Order: sequence, then C-alpha cells, then structure tokens
Amino acid sequence: MMGTDGQGSSWLGARIGWDAIRATLSAQRVARRNFSHFLGGITLLLFLLEVGSGVLVLLYYRPDVAQAHASLERIVGEVPYGDLIRNVHAWSSDLLVLSLVAHMFTVVVRGSFRSPRELSWWSGQALLVLCIGLAFTGAILPWSQEAYLQARVGSELARYVPFVGNWLHHFLRGGDEVTSSTLQHAFGFHVAALPAAVTALIFLHLFFVQRRAATTPRDDDAPTMPVYPDFLVRQAAAWTATFVVVMTLAIFAQRSVGVAADPRLPSVVGARPPWYFLAFHHVVRVAPRDLLGMDGARFLVAAMCGVGLAVVALPLLDRRGSRLTAYLAWIFLLACALLSAYALT
Amino acid sequence: MSNDDRAPTAPRRDFLGMAVGASATAVAAAIGYPVARFVEPRPMPSSGPTLVGKVEDFALGTGKTVLVDEKPVLLLRSADGHFRAFSAICTHLQCVVGYSAERNQIECPCHKGVYSVEGVNIAGPPPRPLEELVVSVREGSVIVSEA
Ligand code: HEM
Ligand code: FES
Repeated sequence: MMGTDGQGSSWLGARIGWDAIRATLSAQRVARRNFSHFLGGITLLLFLLEVGSGVLVLLYYRPDVAQAHASLERIVGEVPYGDLIRNVHAWSSDLLVLSLVAHMFTVVVRGSFRSPRELSWWSGQALLVLCIGLAFTGAILPWSQEAYLQARVGSELARYVPFVGNWLHHFLRGGDEVTSSTLQHAFGFHVAALPAAVTALIFLHLFFVQRRAATTPRDDDAPTMPVYPDFLVRQAAAWTATFVVVMTLAIFAQRSVGVAADPRLPSVVGARPPWYFLAFHHVVRVAPRDLLGMDGARFLVAAMCGVGLAVVALPLLDRRGSRLTAYLAWIFLLACALLSAYALT
Repeated sequence: MSNDDRAPTAPRRDFLGMAVGASATAVAAAIGYPVARFVEPRPMPSSGPTLVGKVEDFALGTGKTVLVDEKPVLLLRSADGHFRAFSAICTHLQCVVGYSAERNQIECPCHKGVYSVEGVNIAGPPPRPLEELVVSVREGSVIVSEA
C-alpha cells in the first residue's frame, strides 16, 4: 500500500514513483488553518458526488414531459438502490449550495477576496452562478407540479433582471412559454453543458488559488504544515465527515418526487421555492405592489441584482478587506436567516 | 537585417503576437457565433385554432382548463351556455389559476390573486386582467384561437 511511510518498494509505489511524490508533497508547506479553509474542498467532494450520482440516475431518467416523472418514480420505486442514489443526488445538491455559500461567506469575513486574489474571487463567483444554474435546471427535471411551478415563476422573476431580463426569461424557458422544450433545454444544460463548464472552472479556480496560496492577509506569519501528511490527512477527515453526512441523510431522509405535472391544474397552494430562495420569496410575498413607482417584484429583483454586482465588485470596492465588509456580511446573513424562518411560518 | 535571425526583433515579435491574437479571436468568433445562435431557443410555431372538445364536455356554469399549444387555457361556460376563454396564467408571477365554482371567480393560489369571471383582476397582487382568447363553436366542436 502506498499510504505507509517508507514503503516505496510496494508493487504500486515502485511503478508510480511514490517516494518522489511523497518527498515533493512533504517538502511543500501550507498554512496551518482552521476548519473554514476546508469548505472549498468539501464543496469539491459534493460536486463529485453530484456527478457520480447524476450519471447513474441518467441511466434510467427520460427527458420527456410524458415520461419524466414516471421514469423518476421507477428509479426510486423499482430500481435496486435507486432511492438511495437519487437521494444522494438530491441531498448533495442542497449541501453543495450550502457549502458554496458558507465558503464564500468565510472568504468575505476573512477579507481573502482582496488583491491579489481577485481572480480566485471572480472564478468562485462564476462557479456560484453555474451551480445555481445546475440547481435550477435540476429542479425542473422531475416534471412534477412543483417543478412546473418553479420553472414558471423562476423564469418569470428572471424577466425582471435589468437589461438582460427578456433574453434570460426566453433562455431559461427554452422558448416563450414553459413547455416540453423547457424540459428538453433544462436537461441538456443540466447533464452536459453546465457540469462541463463547472469542471473547467473548478480547475481554473484551483489554479488561481494555488498560485496565490490563499493565506489570510491578517496572518501572513501563521505557522505552516507539510502538505503530506498533515494537510492531506485533515482534508481526508473533512471529506469523510461530509460523506457520512450525505449518506446519513440519503438513507434516513427520503426526498419526495411529488406528483406528475399537469399544467391544467391550478398551482399548489403555499408552494415554496428551494431553501436558498426562501428569504427572497418572503420579501416578494409581503412587498407592496408598488415600490418607488416600480412594480414591487421588479424593484426587488433589480435590488438583488445590485447586491450581486456589489458582491462581484467587492475586490474593487473594498481594497483593504475592511471590518465594515465583514459586519455587512454578517448582517446580510442574519437577515436572510430571519426572513427564511418567517417564510416557513 | 540583423545577423541573428532566430531571435525576432521587438517589432517583429509584436507583429507575431498580434497576428496570433487576431487569429485566435477570429477562431473563437467563428465557433462562438454559430454555437450561440444554435443554443438560442427557437420560437414555437402556434398551431392556430385548436379543437379542445365537444360542447357537451363543458357543463353549464363551470370552468375547465384545457391545453392549447401546451399552455393552460381556462374555458368558462356560463349558465346560458355562452363560452369565454382566458389564458390560465396569472399576470402576477405566472402561476396557474383555477375557476372556483363556489365563489364564481377565478383564483390564483400562489399569492391569493382573484379575477372576476370576466378575467378582470379584482383582488391581490395581479396587475392586469387575464389574457382573453377567442372561442368559437362549429358543429358541436369547441375551438380556441389566439385573439
Ligand atoms: C453540482 C452539480 C449538480 C447539482 C447542483 C444538481 C442538482 C440537481 C437537482 C436539484 C435535481 C432535482 C432532484 C430532485 O428533485 O430530487 C437534479 C436532478 C437530476 N440530475 Fe442533477 N445536479 C448536478 C449534477 C448532475 C450531473 C453531473 C448529472 C449527470 C451527468 C445530473 C443528472 C441529473 C438527472 C438525470 C436528474 C433527474 C432525476 C431527479 O430529479 O432526481 N446532475 N439535479
Ligand atoms: S402568481 Fe398569481 S397571485 Fe402571484
């Protein structure tokens, strides 16, 4: 086995030159850092779990309005371990968004977005957008009543995005209306275009991070540790813990497939968006019809886009990684948590 | 000419750099433009007037939702047998509305929007009346077409 120190003469070790690899990894040192620095790695594992489970679900899923929901019911009801694999896919997708947001949040609070790490920050932002795209397109695929509703309302809200709204609306629907083309379009993006783009961007992101070894600006003289074994053992522990959480949820917390979509039925009463849109959903629901002379929902979407732009431009707006940014991030997080809690009551 | 022709002079290197950059841009555009046009969703051709059923399929004084070009359309039949058709898509955030026989009105479950049986928004967030479609009855068949 190649894991044991000094066993370079093992069969595999001799063939891959393990001794040389180990020597290089032990000579390289990284900062000794707290748990929040492992969130990026956790996100990576969750993406790999999505790819693995997604490829399996794809063997039985049928991207056709007449068959999609029935094929999903067959996956969770008949195919051996189909419910487990589909649960892994559904749960890791939620955990992936969670760990992405947590990863981003800790980067903001530490001020690690500032120069010279702009490229790490922007490639990370692009990954966030693409992963939300994966979650949006994935949620359409079950073609249940909820999926149909979410496709309608989600794309309608996208229409209010300033300047590109009409294009985005048309693009997300794969046409002017939510129809079979919407499912077809979402499917292609979900299983091919977006995963390929995310994979490429992950490499780019890691490359940028690696080139600018992401120690926080505040502890440049922090203690370091060798990549092997200290760092990799910690990374492996974080991955193992993540895997245990995913499997526990997938085994004990069944995800519903809903009922097949029928566009003739009135929408579900009290339907809610995925958890990461709950805060926004609640604000749209309680907002007056008119805000500053603008349609309420349009105003709120434009405001959110403004916040998004400010977040992207953060390395330019706050060049020093100031305390104020960290406080604002905390306030935003707490406000979202409160609003989401309200939305559930 | 310099006698070391393996190391290009600065202007020559600039020129080569520009040529490589321009070719790369041209290749990217030649690939990118057709791909972008291909990905752009196609307009859905409307199938024109659609037969949605026989007159007997629609009871007097009720509403029933049918699909026209995959879009939900609410057909209301009044007590005296007269038909009206509305797009069943709420003008607020596009949920699907339904007819309530109990309250004789059209209701949107998402944010409690209410429309009259004339399709006029009367309560809740909807900003506009429902879009109306044209219904005609020919030889006992009910046909819906866009206005
Ligand atoms: C970061 C990556 C991904 C995310 C966030 C994601 C998210 C989702 C979500 C939220 C659903 C709906 C599941 C549900 O309602 O339970 C879904 C469904 C699906 N995904 Fe993914 N996915 C990802 C990657 C992939 C990949 C790489 C593939 C295949 C190559 C794939 C194939 C599928 C299929 C076939 C379905 C439909 C079956 C179902 O709804 O369970 N996904 N995805
Ligand atoms: S979508 Fe109908 S009331 Fe909001």
